[in-house]
Amino acid sequence: MNATFKQLIFDFFSLCELEPLEIRRGIWQVNADDALMKELDGWRARGRLLQFTFEPDLAETFGADLIVPGSYRLNSIVQLVRRQGLLSRAHIPHHFFHEPSIRQKAMAGLNPGGRTYVVNSSIAYGQYIMLKIFVRLKGLSSQESIHTRIVDLSDARVLRLNLPTHLLQPGGVDETLLRKRKYGLKKAYNAAVENILADLDEQGHDWTLAAWERLEEEKGRLREYFENQSDSPAYEAKLQEVKTRLMPTIQMNAIRAAFIYVPLFQYRLILVRPDKTETSQNLSCDPISSLCLFH
Amino acid sequence: MHSLLMPFTTMSKSGSDTRLLRTIDLPYYRVEVLADGLQSLIRELRAKRFDTWAWYSLAEAADQLAVQQQAPEELVAVGHLKERWNQVGVIPYPHQLSTAKRVIFEMQGQAILADEVGLGKTIEAGLVLKEYLLRRLVKKVLILTPPGLVWQWYYELMEKFDITAGIQRTQWDWEYADILIASLDTAKREPHASIITSIPYDMIIIDEAHKLKNSATAAYRFVNSLQKKYCLMLTATPVQNDLKELYNLIGLIKPGQLGSYRSFKSNFVKDKRTPKNPQQLKELLDQVMIRNKRNEGTVQFTKRIVHPIIVSLTPKEREIYERVTEFVKESSRHTGLANILPLITLQREVCSSFLATALTLEKMMASMEPDQLEKPASLLRDLAEVKQNSKCDALERTIAQLGGKIIVFTEYKASQQYIRYRLERAGYHTLAFDGTLSRGKKQWIRHMFQKEGQILVSTESGGEGLNFQFCNQIINFDLPWNPMRLEQRIGRVHRLGQTRDVHIFNLITKDTIEEHIVYLLHEKINMFESIIGELDTILLNLKLGKSFESTIMDIFLAHEDAKQIRQELARFGDRILESRADIDASSLWELL
Repeated sequence: MNATFKQLIFDFFSLCELEPLEIRRGIWQVNADDALMKELDGWRARGRLLQFTFEPDLAETFGADLIVPGSYRLNSIVQLVRRQGLLSRAHIPHHFFHEPSIRQKAMAGLNPGGRTYVVNSSIAYGQYIMLKIFVRLKGLSSQESIHTRIVDLSDARVLRLNLPTHLLQPGGVDETLLRKRKYGLKKAYNAAVENILADLDEQGHDWTLAAWERLEEEKGRLREYFENQSDSPAYEAKLQEVKTRLMPTIQMNAIRAAFIYVPLFQYRLILVRPDKTETSQNLSCDPISSLCLFH
Repeated sequence: MHSLLMPFTTMSKSGSDTRLLRTIDLPYYRVEVLADGLQSLIRELRAKRFDTWAWYSLAEAADQLAVQQQAPEELVAVGHLKERWNQVGVIPYPHQLSTAKRVIFEMQGQAILADEVGLGKTIEAGLVLKEYLLRRLVKKVLILTPPGLVWQWYYELMEKFDITAGIQRTQWDWEYADILIASLDTAKREPHASIITSIPYDMIIIDEAHKLKNSATAAYRFVNSLQKKYCLMLTATPVQNDLKELYNLIGLIKPGQLGSYRSFKSNFVKDKRTPKNPQQLKELLDQVMIRNKRNEGTVQFTKRIVHPIIVSLTPKEREIYERVTEFVKESSRHTGLANILPLITLQREVCSSFLATALTLEKMMASMEPDQLEKPASLLRDLAEVKQNSKCDALERTIAQLGGKIIVFTEYKASQQYIRYRLERAGYHTLAFDGTLSRGKKQWIRHMFQKEGQILVSTESGGEGLNFQFCNQIINFDLPWNPMRLEQRIGRVHRLGQTRDVHIFNLITKDTIEEHIVYLLHEKINMFESIIGELDTILLNLKLGKSFESTIMDIFLAHEDAKQIRQELARFGDRILESRADIDASSLWELL
């Protein structure tokens, strides 16, 4: 984790177009302007020469801001970074794929015994959305995690495969090449949520057991406390309070999303069947999901 | 870069503004799909605000880091506040950290924090609050305190926990402020009470919760009707006279923990002060209440070392003292006990400074009949003629022998001004601290005193709520008669965080009422050298029926002879000690 947070700090300053200077071994200095300091420390803060270090001893000696897991300065930077990049986009260019191979693979077995002619071919981009979803399992204690789901916006299905992220290139693509999406963000989010829930369900419910026991125990005590008034509003209110506090709950919230534009290779085909009949078809091949579909 | 400081992953909001996209009730758990994250994304999409891939990737890394830091059974707040605590000199004690952990991980945020006085209940509550805030489990918080502690809470939260709370001033504040500090007295009254009870709070903190021991009071009913997820109640005296008080208090936190009142009585009450099945009862209490005691490896307070400085009055000063005392006695015979307060003040001031005495006398004269003015007028003239102040001479001599920072306490503003005049004339730089200063100025003066000041001359009211652990010497120029007020003075420096022994210098004028007061407070009940826990409970238990000061004044007025006064004060001191022993011996306290 140490390397991760140090890298994060330097990447952060780099994205802010600032270059930290190591003024002496372990002590870094960066000239933070008003806007940055306000984002980090609130509206009263002013720009200053921000000194920071990753070593506790040096922080005390030189009065530099300490950046270690849990420290205020790391937390303020992490929180600021987390407010960025809500929505972004990336694409995988067509030239990363060898089109003749894709074409050959698509044609193979397409029209057994007949002949297939490619009248013309074109390229387009299909739209996926990559959703980052925060999940908290709230039993007696709580576990937090971030789940990633990629949803195909042409059919709102969650992609089971891993996206080759090493192929992703920043930014969007020529909009005229985009195949229109059939489903929106909300539908995709719901599909992702359902998918995560199914996965969590498969993992079992052990995390809920202690909370259930405690909940039942407290409900029993509450009934005893209210004796013959278990239909009173006060009882209902207290019961609700207990449930709010102890009911095992999965909370989910979207944190960020990115549109991923994936290459599509489209072909206009004439298929000559063995009985000499001819049909015309449009074929679309998605090299990411390895699917070719007529449409 | 987005300039909005609005968090977008708020996982827990108060019920009033929780926006759920949908809720699914499944056999084993409930699913809450929050809407705000999705809505932020939709907003961004509609505005076609696409951030760069580099920021997106960095934010992803930051998300992972933030989740990794939330170790399930560790306090995130400790690491987060480490630097701030270094700056402001806070060292959390192990018992405070373990209390915060127990409240969060074992008690699910429902607890009575019942540490003995001086062990830092506020720190524990602040720590729990900060932890929940960092984990984004609470957003809407209400802190209810006695009116006099509202600002103290504000500063403690800001200074020690970097939590900026609002202070309730108008009825609009209840809804608009996320973290609000208010007085319980205001909150329980209409129209406030109706507004507050309609708001679902994530967390409620109630200081001095022993005020809620009676379930028939409006305050109790009000607190009981609050909608809350987590609740902390702070009191050093969860039980005073009756086991029912304890039952009521726990009913607010966890109704049913001790069963119905009928079953509680039959299972646990022998008589109202004696529990049945104490072990079983203690086990149940331990599930909702944490009580740290001194001498259990919690906190080692430094010593209090008392230095009495006896001041002899000059013949002229003695004459004035006797005349003022005579005037007080005579006036009390005429006016009776109804107007005793100004006379008590006068009698106390004459041991402080003649300037203060003269000002009070002048005020009293304004309401007198013309035929009554002769004596006080002559007294006033003579007071003005006294040029010497033996006490101030002694103060100068004492300060000359001391190094380091010193706080000089006096009860009166006039005395404070005179002391400053004398010390400045002697070449010392002084700072003044009193109740008329704004909060900001008080903070500033405290800061100045810490950084570069040597002498702070303070009236008590100015000192309330502010801590001066960086100083370990106090001089009591005059003495309050009430031990609570004396403890407040000493408590400014002798508290958690004080690393050195505290030296208390008492200037005592010989053969005056002040000598009797010192006899009572020091020799009889040993107020100066030991911390008397639960002082308010002890005094309450005395059932005086009048103020502490009035009781002393009665003794003073009823007896001419110094010996008799001493005997009466000795008896009174014995009563205080008996009250303390009575409380200590009560089997109720063994429960805690």
